[in-house]
Amino acid sequence: MMNQGGNTQTVAALDPSSVENRYVVGASQAQTSFYPSSVTGTDPASWNVHRVESHSTENGNTSNSTYHHVQHMDPSTRTVQDGTNSAAVASSSSLGTANVQQDYSNYASYPSSTDPYGYGSTGYPGYYNGYQQQPNHSYSQPVGAYQNTGAPYQPLSSFQNTGSYAGPASYTSTYYNPGDYQTTGGYPSSSYSHQTTTWNEGNYANYSTPQYSSYASDTTGAYASGNLATTSLQYQQHYKQWADYCNQTEVSCAPGTENLNVSTASNQVCQVPGVSGGYTTSNSQNTPSFTPSWRLDSSSSQVSSQMPSQTLPQAPSQTSSLQPSVAVSGAYDNYWKHGTLSFQNQQVSPMQPHFQKPLEPKTSYDNFQEQQKTACPQVPNLQYASSHQAAQSYQPPLQPVPSLDSRRTSKLQIQTNPRIASNLPLGLQKTDKDGSNNNAAAKPAYISVSFPVSNEKVLPNNAADSVLKPSTFPKSLRGYVERALASCKDDTQKAACQAIMKEIITKATADGTLCTRDWDNEPLFPLPNADVVNKDTLQSSISASLPKYKRSPSRRSKSRWEPLPEEKSVDKLASVNNDTAKFGSWIHANEKDKKPVSANLESKNDGLGATRFSLMEQKSATKTFRRPVKRQCLIDGNAADNGDASSDSDKDQNLTAYYSSAIALADSPEERKRRENRSKRFDKGQGNRAEINHFKPKNIGTGNLYARRASAMVLSKSFEDGGSRAVEDIDWDALTVKGTCQEIEKRYLRLTSAPDPSTVRPEEVLEKALLMVQNSQKNYLYKCDQLKSIRQDLTVQRIRNQLTVYETHARLALENGDLPEYNQCQSQLKILYAEGIEGCHMEFSAYNLLCVILHSNNKRELLSSMARLSEEAKKDKAVQHALAVRAAVSSGNYVLFFRLYKRAPNLNTCLMDLFVEKMRYKAVSCMSRSYRPTVSVSYISQVLGFASSVPSGEESDEKDSDGLEECVEWLKTHGACLVADSNGEMQFDAKASSSSLYMPEPDDAVAHGDANLAVNDFLARTSS
Amino acid sequence: MAYISMGEVHRRITEYLNGFADAVSSQDGGSLARLLSLSSNSPSLLSLADALNVFQDANRLIKQSDKCSQFAEIIVPLFRSLQNYRLGNLVDAYHAFEKSSNAFVQEFRNWESAWALEALHVIAYEIRVLAEKADRELASSGKSPEKLKGAGSFLMKVFGVLAGKGPKRVGALYVTCQLFKIYFKLGTVHLCRSVIRSIETARIFDFEEFPRRDKVTYMYYTGRLEVFNENFTAADDKLSYALTHCNLLKEANIRMILKYLIPVKLSLGILPKSCLLEKYDLLEYSNVVLALKRGDLRLLRRALQEHEDQFLRSGVYLVLEKLELQVYQRLLKKIYIIQKQKDPSKAHQLKLEIIVKALKWLEMDMDLDEVECIMTILIYKNLVKGYFAHKSKVVVLSKQDPFPKLNGKPVSS
Repeated sequence: MMNQGGNTQTVAALDPSSVENRYVVGASQAQTSFYPSSVTGTDPASWNVHRVESHSTENGNTSNSTYHHVQHMDPSTRTVQDGTNSAAVASSSSLGTANVQQDYSNYASYPSSTDPYGYGSTGYPGYYNGYQQQPNHSYSQPVGAYQNTGAPYQPLSSFQNTGSYAGPASYTSTYYNPGDYQTTGGYPSSSYSHQTTTWNEGNYANYSTPQYSSYASDTTGAYASGNLATTSLQYQQHYKQWADYCNQTEVSCAPGTENLNVSTASNQVCQVPGVSGGYTTSNSQNTPSFTPSWRLDSSSSQVSSQMPSQTLPQAPSQTSSLQPSVAVSGAYDNYWKHGTLSFQNQQVSPMQPHFQKPLEPKTSYDNFQEQQKTACPQVPNLQYASSHQAAQSYQPPLQPVPSLDSRRTSKLQIQTNPRIASNLPLGLQKTDKDGSNNNAAAKPAYISVSFPVSNEKVLPNNAADSVLKPSTFPKSLRGYVERALASCKDDTQKAACQAIMKEIITKATADGTLCTRDWDNEPLFPLPNADVVNKDTLQSSISASLPKYKRSPSRRSKSRWEPLPEEKSVDKLASVNNDTAKFGSWIHANEKDKKPVSANLESKNDGLGATRFSLMEQKSATKTFRRPVKRQCLIDGNAADNGDASSDSDKDQNLTAYYSSAIALADSPEERKRRENRSKRFDKGQGNRAEINHFKPKNIGTGNLYARRASAMVLSKSFEDGGSRAVEDIDWDALTVKGTCQEIEKRYLRLTSAPDPSTVRPEEVLEKALLMVQNSQKNYLYKCDQLKSIRQDLTVQRIRNQLTVYETHARLALENGDLPEYNQCQSQLKILYAEGIEGCHMEFSAYNLLCVILHSNNKRELLSSMARLSEEAKKDKAVQHALAVRAAVSSGNYVLFFRLYKRAPNLNTCLMDLFVEKMRYKAVSCMSRSYRPTVSVSYISQVLGFASSVPSGEESDEKDSDGLEECVEWLKTHGACLVADSNGEMQFDAKASSSSLYMPEPDDAVAHGDANLAVNDFLARTSS
Repeated sequence: MAYISMGEVHRRITEYLNGFADAVSSQDGGSLARLLSLSSNSPSLLSLADALNVFQDANRLIKQSDKCSQFAEIIVPLFRSLQNYRLGNLVDAYHAFEKSSNAFVQEFRNWESAWALEALHVIAYEIRVLAEKADRELASSGKSPEKLKGAGSFLMKVFGVLAGKGPKRVGALYVTCQLFKIYFKLGTVHLCRSVIRSIETARIFDFEEFPRRDKVTYMYYTGRLEVFNENFTAADDKLSYALTHCNLLKEANIRMILKYLIPVKLSLGILPKSCLLEKYDLLEYSNVVLALKRGDLRLLRRALQEHEDQFLRSGVYLVLEKLELQVYQRLLKKIYIIQKQKDPSKAHQLKLEIIVKALKWLEMDMDLDEVECIMTILIYKNLVKGYFAHKSKVVVLSKQDPFPKLNGKPVSS
């Protein structure tokens, strides 16, 4: 029964496959081996195989295979789910690409959790996965059902998480593993919840909140992306699937059945909501509730139950049977499809296993069941609504069942639904297009999610390949390229694909052969994902898959958990345990897994022809996905990089979540593109992300100018490592704007997107604008604003001859002591002067000298500035003055400095102004040390520039007295001791002052350090 | 170019390929280095280049050679570089060489031991030299010279390969020095900081374990950086280290070190003997030293003006300019000594007028205020002990040690 239970769990979904495998492992590791192979075998097909295998495994499969599966599963749990999902993706994508995608996303999340488990101990992992899946399902179900429920679910998830933590421990001991599964499940569930939330609200906020609350940001991110992509339909499907699963689980069908269920897991989840009653009685009740629509499920469950007993062939038959059933009742079919496709099945199955396995699962089960129950009622409606999509998804499951290649599945899908393209990406796009307007965006995301899953699965496969290394790589590469190109809808995409692939290949070669191998698997998918949503989902999926691939559950849990401070301490502890215990074991497991994978593959070949097919399918299906995954894997490298990978994955997931949410919000392609572009900025830091981004832009290629520009930018950046070709390809001339705006006055606004020609002024208008500013009586802030907008227009039009703008602005900035603005102009002027434009070169080289001397205090820069001065320049009055000032400053000669200050040409005074205070203070502290006993204040006033240095005539006397008062005031504010001598003349008491001098805080100091940001200035700026 | 038979061409190419393969298989870094040393103009490489220019299908030979085919990514561009170098197409030669070097570094990464360090160093050197030559070619054709920058980033990559733990780290300092040369040439010395940090903060590798040649070069450049920062004590340490460890036969190197060490020492109040300046042809400093000895401000200013370009380029101008205060100090001391001979009781009171008059003799046109300012600065910087009485315009010197010697300490700021 345990085995069966495990199997049933695995059956639940792709996860189920892993779960099944795990279960099998738990029951008998020998069985697991089959499972793994099956799991890994084909994501879509693998599911079938897995199912078959799982059945066999339940019977007595090898644990290794399960491990692989698990790992694959993780990424692929999704993949497993993919398996079903992938099948769905490949084949079903067309039918309900959205659904498939959703499933994938769900799967992805599940997979991650499952992966760790799988890594720890294949058999256990499988179990864990199953557990996790269950929790996830339950979570997702509640979430899907109601966002509100999502919150409660989250708690549940947390419980699961705790369980998962235990799980890591369980790596050592199986019990722990179950816990892990739960946790993982919890994560996935959160993702589900996100999805559900997205469905309900479709808002970013919802996404973020659910994700955060229950799952770590990472998982949630991935989920979110998946969720975003997936529409409510998918969720519904999941729910249904849950219900189905529950029913199935109750049946404790053979693994094969479970697998079937798994494929339908999403459906079950959907069902669960629908069946709500069924959830409570999860098994029996669910079945009844399902009966009409669920009957299909139940039948499927039955089939699945049969499946366990039956071998692989049975699984296909079951699937086939499922398909017929689908045909029979569209709605039910849909549900079925979802279930088969998605994790829901898996989740359900895990739940069952938990129940069967008394350990922790029971509690979790209870919780889950309750949740499911609650969720179920709500969910059903949604599921039903999405039934059409579900139907599409069903077709994919069918494909998996045959364990046909993804191609076949795709073909099948095509047959079933024209919408479903033969290729997943195509199918996704099509579905998006066809599809439900609401879900359209979401669907692609889902698809992408599914891709990641497949990627994850692929990764294990890849790893195995790497171990094997034989001729597979070249083939895979070729196939990869072909697929990638085939997936391109139009020429722009193709070009983008080619560029990307070149990058990828070059990078891979640089990284090493392994990379190239991985590349083969990975690259294809990203390219195909032309749609923005797909891109996003890909990213998210990739990120998710990466972590999963890394396989360290602890890592994931850590990353996920750590970001979420709200999570329970128990979870944290568990995670910690997982980390410590699991990491080592996981890493080993990973390495082992890789080898086993190859072995599994072989075993698959031996034992299961289907497994190979599944692998092939996975490869084909995951090709696009694989690229990102591989990159990540490669980049992250091996186990050693787990920590980084997890963090990356977290970030990615977050990003993906963000994207997904953004996508959901954005109906128009433009908006999507803009958002992507923005998000790209953030991504630049990380190679993986950047690559992903690149993919996106390329895909977007068909988009509008903005998108193209953005993509060009991204490409250029991304290609920097890959080669200069892409950068050279960018036609900057084509990107240069020719302004058409005739307005003379224009406020400055920092561009956040490519400039719009209708708001850019052509050169002749700019000349008028400059004149207007020069003659304007308004304040500096207004002028500065206007000049900045003129400079911006010059820049975007690449007009490089109008020196006067920069010189005018530089002078204006100097007059107002605005050094930052001056520096901007100066740096531009430096370039222009270097290009041979005359202007007032000397004047500005003097300014430059003064600036370096007085404000940067960079000796090296000063030296080079001085060395660069030509003989002619040294004869220039302004330059000579600047050099003299430099000498005075460097020797501290204040007398000379203030003499030079008095007779400074041009605006040199303005620059020196900024240094006067410092110089005076230095002078006074020098005086306080050197003079004894006193110095007359009138002398100080004269020497330090308060009064004119050469007193002559009455006018100057008046000035002197003013200067004297000012000087006294200044000395007092700086803590000088002043005494009056016998003649009544003020004297500076040097000795007393030497200890009392201080530099007062500037009056206009602002807390935030930039006086320009002061409120008054701001108001003046806005009002002017 | 003399006619070369096809057989001869084949023979030369095959010989090279065999040499390459043998060097790798026997892990003979020295031989490998010789094969990569493009700018050495060794006869064998020259003849190979000629052969390659006659025979355009060397790639086929490389592919056919089972021993070398695995190194095709290194050798194919290397041959192309050699050809272009021979023909004087330096930019193309650089491009090809960089490609070859990249492939080599990739290979090097995979070699466990550090046997190929010598070859890697040759590559680091060659790529820098080639980049400089290529930049010259680019500049002469009006294009922006950027190859040296590219070489810098390539060497940074190489540094990354070497900087980790393990036996290869011993080669890191050589690459660092090549990087210094590039950065100093490009004027982007701020980029040195990261490399220096990596060298100096690594506790896993004792600095003394690096080869002496690299240590001297490293100390020379870091010493120069300290000169820029006017951190004279540290500069003195580093440059003195370089000087004492430098090979005594390498007079050019010693001269380069002294070029910076002398101004640093002058700033610390330590004057070189004139025979040292003569021996190492550093006569531009002789007048500076003389001015310091005599307190002759005019001489110092003239010396600075005379060699302004040179001092500015080497970066010691500002350092030398700061010697002015020491010259003033010397001048005051001279006045003090003369007064003491006349009237010991009043010797410690230096009238401002006298100082101004002395400066007038030196053709320094400064008024009372300005000289007063200089006096306060001298007192402030502790070059003169005493005080200035403003009312009577007199510098009152301390009776004990009125002109303290620097004795290796920098002038306080």
